Amino acid sequence: MAPSMAAAQPLPSSKTESYVDNKRKDDIRTANIKAARSVADAVRTSLGPKGMDKMISTATGDVIITNDGATILNKMEVLQPAAKMLVELSKSQDVVAGDGTTTVVVIAGAFLKQCQTLLHSGIHPTVVSDSLNKVAVKAVEVVTAMAVPVELSDRVSLVKSASTSLNSKVVSQYSSLLAPLAVDSVLSVVDPAKPDLVDLKDVRIVKKLGGTVDDTELVKGLVFDKKVSHAAGGPARVENAKIAVIQFQISPPKTDIEQSIVVSDYTQMDRILKEERSYILSMIKKIKATGCNVLLIQKSILRDAVTDLSLHYLAKAKILVVKDVERDDIEFVTKTLNCLPIANIEHFRAEKLGYADVVEEVSVGDGKVVKITGIKDMGRTTTVLVRGSNQLVLDEAERSLHDALCVVRCLVNKKFLIAGGGAPEIELSRQLSAWSKVLHGMESFCVKSFAEALEVVPYTLAENAGLNPITIVTELRNRHAQGEINAGINVRKGQITNILEENVVQPLLVSTSAITLAAECVRMILKIDDIVTVR
Amino acid sequence: MAVEKLFKDEATEEKGERARMASFVGAMAIADLVKTTLGPKGMDKILQSTGRGHSVTVTNDGATILKSLHIDNPAAKVLIDISKVQDDEVGDGTTSVVVLAGELLREAEKLVGSKIHPMTIISGFRMAADCARKALLDRVNDNKDDAEKFRLDLMRIAKTTLSSKILSQDKEHFAKLAVDAVMRLKGSTNLESIQIIKKAGGSLKDSFLDEGFILDKKIGLGQPKRIENANILVANTAMDTDKVKIYGARVRVDSMAKVAQIEGAEKEKMREKVQKIIGHGINCFVNRQLIYNFPEELFADAGILAIEHADFEGIERLALVTGGEIASTFDNPESVKLGHCKLIEEIMIGEDKLIHFSGVEMGQACTIVLRGASFHVLDEAERSLHDALCVLSQTVNDSRVLLGGGWPEMVMAKAVDELARKTPGKKSHAIEAFSRALIAIPTTIADNAGLDSAELVAQLRAEHHKEDSNAGIDVITGTVGDMSELGISEAFKVKQAVLLSATEAAEMILRVDEIITCAPRRREDRM
Repeated sequence: MAPSMAAAQPLPSSKTESYVDNKRKDDIRTANIKAARSVADAVRTSLGPKGMDKMISTATGDVIITNDGATILNKMEVLQPAAKMLVELSKSQDVVAGDGTTTVVVIAGAFLKQCQTLLHSGIHPTVVSDSLNKVAVKAVEVVTAMAVPVELSDRVSLVKSASTSLNSKVVSQYSSLLAPLAVDSVLSVVDPAKPDLVDLKDVRIVKKLGGTVDDTELVKGLVFDKKVSHAAGGPARVENAKIAVIQFQISPPKTDIEQSIVVSDYTQMDRILKEERSYILSMIKKIKATGCNVLLIQKSILRDAVTDLSLHYLAKAKILVVKDVERDDIEFVTKTLNCLPIANIEHFRAEKLGYADVVEEVSVGDGKVVKITGIKDMGRTTTVLVRGSNQLVLDEAERSLHDALCVVRCLVNKKFLIAGGGAPEIELSRQLSAWSKVLHGMESFCVKSFAEALEVVPYTLAENAGLNPITIVTELRNRHAQGEINAGINVRKGQITNILEENVVQPLLVSTSAITLAAECVRMILKIDDIVTVR
Repeated sequence: MAVEKLFKDEATEEKGERARMASFVGAMAIADLVKTTLGPKGMDKILQSTGRGHSVTVTNDGATILKSLHIDNPAAKVLIDISKVQDDEVGDGTTSVVVLAGELLREAEKLVGSKIHPMTIISGFRMAADCARKALLDRVNDNKDDAEKFRLDLMRIAKTTLSSKILSQDKEHFAKLAVDAVMRLKGSTNLESIQIIKKAGGSLKDSFLDEGFILDKKIGLGQPKRIENANILVANTAMDTDKVKIYGARVRVDSMAKVAQIEGAEKEKMREKVQKIIGHGINCFVNRQLIYNFPEELFADAGILAIEHADFEGIERLALVTGGEIASTFDNPESVKLGHCKLIEEIMIGEDKLIHFSGVEMGQACTIVLRGASFHVLDEAERSLHDALCVLSQTVNDSRVLLGGGWPEMVMAKAVDELARKTPGKKSHAIEAFSRALIAIPTTIADNAGLDSAELVAQLRAEHHKEDSNAGIDVITGTVGDMSELGISEAFKVKQAVLLSATEAAEMILRVDEIITCAPRRREDRM
């Protein structure tokens, strides 16, 4: 490796002996690494079950309390481009796996720290970058070898991994409730025809203030965070409901072309009022004729979806009305109810309706929601009604639940589980150091450093839990060297145990994507030698 | 008496030596800026925009970097222009051309310093460029007749192009994608029928080539999700309401019933329009504008798949690949050309649903779906793939191929050196300088890879002293290697364009002996 040894010296000047400003390039790289590391340090303390939360007060004065790395970074509004890349990294992990958004940033930070040392000792960035790529590839191999296959029917394992994810959140004391809930909701939307694909859009989370997280429930049906329109004392509960989703408006006609009604004397006014009434009445009669008794009305920006008058008539006709359904929700609603949206009164036919056992308005906390249950031929969707005592808890509960759902989805995509509690990282570190000994030259040196970098995860876990990180990590290393590959930090007991037996498990996809994404991001940062300001 | 004032206020003039220096310095600064991105181990740049959002781009593509720079120096602008032209013409080598031009100017500066007239330098450069081109022509490899070998050539070129980009890890995979896509074009250089869709999520390895067309849109509610033997009408028409476009038009009525009638009439008009559209005998309708709920439901009732809000590019491409025409009136069904395809279905990529048209009329069409961790990666991947596609489509037409890894530069440098020895007079200095500038490219490649460039280039030169050597820089192992064994190839067309346009640009800048900066136009003038 003689030529690459030469790289240890600063870049030789080019043939033409021009002045090459290498100093500045090093500065930019160092500045980038520093900026990115400080981002990583900011979220470091929120890693693990005993990690701390961050309070973020946004520019608009809102306050968010969260433990979710992606959310923290998203709200941080960093400007330095390299720091921004770390934020992006966390977002990508959120997209790919949904969980491990803090882990990925912490790992990237640790890699960067090692890069800094390596660069200082004069190794060329491309060599470092290539070794990092090799490390990532090898790491994925090692982790995959450690993984335990899991069946979708094995509900217990799925619940375990969901609760591992929830344990590090504010809502950890409710993990026994939320974890099975997450598992059930994901499993219920898995389409048997496409068993590997889960569209989390089919799981709807409705938040409602009041009560505690304990009251969170899974609803087999639909929940609208809306009141029934009560303007004229219409029904609040309908059994054997025939539901119509309409996209037209029950209000006086309005044309697209500008129009004005010319009234020349007051008798005409009377007539116009009467016409309006009969116009609406005729519409409602048509609706009633199909036997429909529940109306879901799409929000309209062009004109009122319903007027007091039409609500009155609808109430008389014993039709329950939910108005202002968002257009984006229509697809979800129709899929769930197994009905078709109706865009014109002329098309109002019985075959387009959906059927459900009960549609009722339920008081929840200080507000009310509309629940539709017992839907006939229900589509593959679920709704989760999340409750919380204040807005902050509620939001955090939603984020945590989302993470848990993602974890379960990961398992559906890639049916492998792996131990948590820092076990895979320490095993990786051990195997990679061993591997580095068979490599040659610079590469070996770099791989060894990166192997050490991976110890950051158990180290931080221990640190955040108030344990002595050095004792823990060294003991962990020792146990792994003796062949206990599933030994990890049991944060609750404050000691090292077989983490698989403690039911601390996570999906393989989370670990592999954390390592590959972190490596990819660090390599990108390493390769940058200049920041150019452009238009 | 001297003319007192020749120019307007604030207009400046730089003459002779000063002007030349200004342009040399500017051009060299630009060349140095992109120099570090050259070669498989070149570095990337962050482009930080000062505009809104401070968006960040990470790239390795010379043309992308240069075209987004703020530049005031006129000579630097010339270099940016040649890089742009190179991008448009052949798609790759955008960095090389700037670096070569910069090196030529660096050499020229020294020659001018030693009192050689710029015109002498120019004529020397011309002779050298001509000789270099001939040297390349002598050594080209043409496998046009052997389909098997030609494909191998293409694969090699694609891999070489991609190896300096973000896709280098998966270059095998992407080279195959690019070659397959270009082979489908059957010689046409119309890259428009290759569609690139970017979807975040997954890794770069999950990218794939799809035969057919993918539209990133949703199918309307309650409409069939799968259609075989589709007749497609591509349209750009208002499917909300047909409005009277005369300003201030309004209707006066005297009762509510009449308003209802007008509303009914409007609905009826829409229904008629939908009926007319359906009357074309179609089962798929793609509109560029929104389709409102009402017509959407009508289409659903008729069992027609309607896609709303397809963007301009989307429908133009769709019309192109399905062989249809974009229609906006529907009165004469016979005059409208419908598009056809075998199957339309909904597919899932990552988390998103897209609409897939397969078995389209135009067999050359295909779609490359790129997957990647983040938008930075995807954007850069698209740029890299685009470069590869450009080069490949050019190579399909001009199938002459050269080796890569600094080999062509060494071959040229050797020929130019020989010419210098034969040429009497001052010109020979210029020719010699040209060869030094050529060698600067392998030097830069080696430098960027963190290798000892002086050592390697000397070895390379010794190697090339032998006849028919295939030696070039093997950046991966950091030694001098046999390029034909390593399978590193470049298109002749790219190299030729680099050589000629760099020489031309250098020549142009050399000829300059006066820069006149016009007075900036003032705002007040307008008042």
